[in-house]
Amino acid sequence: MNIAVCVKHAIDEGELRSDSSGRPQLQGALAKMSTFDRNAVEEAVRARESKGGTVTVLSLGGQDWKKSLKEALAMGCDRAIAISSAGDLDTLATSYYLSRALQKGGPFDLILVSEGASDTYDGLVGPMLAEWLNLPFIGYARKVEIGEGTVRAEVALDEKAEVVDAALPAVVSVVSEVNSPRYPTLLQIMQASKKPMEELALDSLRDERAPLAAVKVLEVTAQPVNRKRVIYEGAPEESAQKLLDALRKEGVI
Amino acid sequence: MTDVLTFSENPQLAGELATAADSIAAGAGGRVFAVEVDAVREAPAHGSVLLVKAARPISGDSELIASAISEAARRRASPIVLIGSTKLGRMVAGRLAVASRMCVLADVRDLKVDGVRLTGVRGVYAGKFNAKVEGPLPCVALVPQGAYEATAGSPGPVEEITVEGFSPRVKRTEARAPQRSALDLRTAKIIVAAGRGFKTKEDLALVEKLAKALGGAMGASRPLSSDLGWLGEEYHIGLTGVYVRPNLYLAIGISGQLQHVAGIKDSKVIAAINKDKQAPIFQVADYGIVGDLYQVVPALLKILGSE
Repeated sequence: MNIAVCVKHAIDEGELRSDSSGRPQLQGALAKMSTFDRNAVEEAVRARESKGGTVTVLSLGGQDWKKSLKEALAMGCDRAIAISSAGDLDTLATSYYLSRALQKGGPFDLILVSEGASDTYDGLVGPMLAEWLNLPFIGYARKVEIGEGTVRAEVALDEKAEVVDAALPAVVSVVSEVNSPRYPTLLQIMQASKKPMEELALDSLRDERAPLAAVKVLEVTAQPVNRKRVIYEGAPEESAQKLLDALRKEGVI
Repeated sequence: MTDVLTFSENPQLAGELATAADSIAAGAGGRVFAVEVDAVREAPAHGSVLLVKAARPISGDSELIASAISEAARRRASPIVLIGSTKLGRMVAGRLAVASRMCVLADVRDLKVDGVRLTGVRGVYAGKFNAKVEGPLPCVALVPQGAYEATAGSPGPVEEITVEGFSPRVKRTEARAPQRSALDLRTAKIIVAAGRGFKTKEDLALVEKLAKALGGAMGASRPLSSDLGWLGEEYHIGLTGVYVRPNLYLAIGISGQLQHVAGIKDSKVIAAINKDKQAPIFQVADYGIVGDLYQVVPALLKILGSE
């Protein structure tokens, strides 16, 4: 069973601050493996543990992104493919180059991704990979079972849950409740540096299908938080009364 | 000419997309087409309807829906496709973008078109920042719920497109019927939501009672519908769940993680009850009570009940 998992080295949105002009301080901002991607890595490693085979972790990035790959290796992945890109790519281009690397580094029976990156939460790379690679896609799996050449998943959509079946190879995106990602031990972190990491340049992956046009980010500004922040402390009955009075005054109850 | 196609399986969003499409197409002298699959819904459509039918049902299968929209877009040479930002919508948009080589703007509002490109504004970094983004046409845009007001329109002519060779690669069976429709939350004027601060599932009766007393709907933060499994996903409010925009959002025992706040920040008034004064929810709330919810909620119920 050859398993691939794609991860993003993303800005830690919880730590991101804005400068005096309201723009995010991206220079020197903390970055880490996108929160939900850790669930995808965990699911890949568990699949290997029960079915055998290898897990390859892939990531496209340009700065420090190998840190996320090393973390995935420490969590139990067997080898890494680092796709180096000088600048940021949009989702269409990112998925294209990932799909090319998957073709080059494969074949893979199962390709895992998370439900969305923690910085943008687009949830597009999974279905895009499936389309580039002409594979079935299962989105938002909270339980994944691998059979003989098949995958069954329980998926959580907006308003309903479904059980879905597809033939392998397939692309599957997992939600965070699928598992609790492990924390690697110090020994595993040290051993990870001995595992193979292959670096691929975008040029080596490009073919005639490469997307030309791209989405541009023109400006990023802080979202204003205009909240009153009135706090009531004290006896519950008093606070309750004050809150209801305030809400009536607002005309919302 | 900039024709605009729209698709959403969610009837509320479909109405909002119609408004968005009208606003783009009007300026550019284009027409609007709503893509429907299998059958035309009763929801009022704007402009013309392109009904895509196949030998098997298309609804619910993201790959087949993407193919259907791709087929409709090809016939109308429409450079813009608006899709509602639901989980199904994201899967459809991803497939469609690759199949038709279109850029994707995700979760955009304030859409504007100038003939060669589409611009919009989206939240990034769990809604802490806004990004203005631009995509060259042809372009797919995922539009979140609440970005546009749904307007009633007169249904236009229906054109049927029959496609062949549509065969699903993913077999789907419904696992569990939802306890109620997520639309209840999306359209609710008052929402009372529960979080990790509740000790047992049975205690959620307090929230239910309070929601009822206020004439609102009950919601929850992610742990209650995922890790704890106390409620179905249709109750889950946040970045990875339902986006809400009520007049009053009352968060009880919810700490206010970024991912949760991202789903409620368009609420008119946010109130919170939490025993931890440092809980981040108070930073984004208009009114907050620092206290034990097991004392505060009964106090609220008592006052509401005695009036």
